[in-house]
Amino acid sequence: MENLSPEVLIIIVTTIVCALAIVIGTMIPTWVEGQSAIKAIEGMARQPDAAPELRTAMIISLALLETASIYVLLVVLILLFANPLLTRFFGG
Amino acid sequence: MEVINHPIVFTLFGIIPVRDTVVYTWITMAGIVALVLILKLLKPNLLEYILEAIISILDDAMDVDDLHPYIPLLGSLLIFTFTANLISIFPQMKSPTADINTTIALALIVVFSVHIYGMMVKGVWPYLKDFASPIFLLPVELIGQFSRALSLAMRLFGNVLSGDLIVAIVFSIIPYLLPIALTAISMVSGILQAYVLTTLAALFISSAVEINIEDMKVKEKGKQRASIKEIYNKIRKEKTNGESKS
Repeated sequence: MENLSPEVLIIIVTTIVCALAIVIGTMIPTWVEGQSAIKAIEGMARQPDAAPELRTAMIISLALLETASIYVLLVVLILLFANPLLTRFFGG
Repeated sequence: MEVINHPIVFTLFGIIPVRDTVVYTWITMAGIVALVLILKLLKPNLLEYILEAIISILDDAMDVDDLHPYIPLLGSLLIFTFTANLISIFPQMKSPTADINTTIALALIVVFSVHIYGMMVKGVWPYLKDFASPIFLLPVELIGQFSRALSLAMRLFGNVLSGDLIVAIVFSIIPYLLPIALTAISMVSGILQAYVLTTLAALFISSAVEINIEDMKVKEKGKQRASIKEIYNKIRKEKTNGESKS
């Protein structure tokens, strides 16, 4: 562990942080999306007349909630493929 | 990685560098035009049916009286994103929307067209007055506009890119059968994202052009009250006239 160069250390830390971030950052939005889908489907079962409007609203809100996990994915992709720390401290 | 890199393919006129995204965008446009021409020649009814479906989607999303001014922009947005998200299922093709430049361009078009439609419908000065109605909320509104553009762009880009990326990663590990299922998932997500982008643009536009309903209601109520008063006065006059006659 002592004879690791700083670049390798940064890469290792980045990889571990990325794994943690993608796990937590997809788990929580998925859970919330599940809650909203449950509510919407309950509403559809209770009032089948309002099903199309509920479906549209559900799809839009699911897409909006999905944005959170997409942000996490983008941050993880930037950290993995274009790491700003490496380019800042070691010039690429 | 091949999915993320966007190399410069050639330079136009020796000065303008052209990335591969632009080439794929041109291919997408050519595909749309060719498809529409073929359908127009062979199956005009199918083309009409598709247009009716697009208009019904917009009609569900928007809450305006006259849909006609918004159909060209939103319909072409839907058709373009739909085709661009789906074009990556062909071999050697990449989605133009998997590049952030394309999606930022689309989001900027949407955000500026919202204000242009609002100014066209309400007039320039009333729209700006409505936009900054409590003046201390103007910075919040401006940040909201900026983040709206950013989130529109990032959502489309992230969804399409993640679909392509996951297919590429799984393909490099298990090249048999499993990528087919993931391609199907990314196709569904692409269709859904085209729908969501168009619906959100329609919602933004309809929220910009809607005239404040409560003001209208107050005005109409005032009119109704006036008319009721007139009728009441008329009846009373007639009554008094009749009484005086008798």
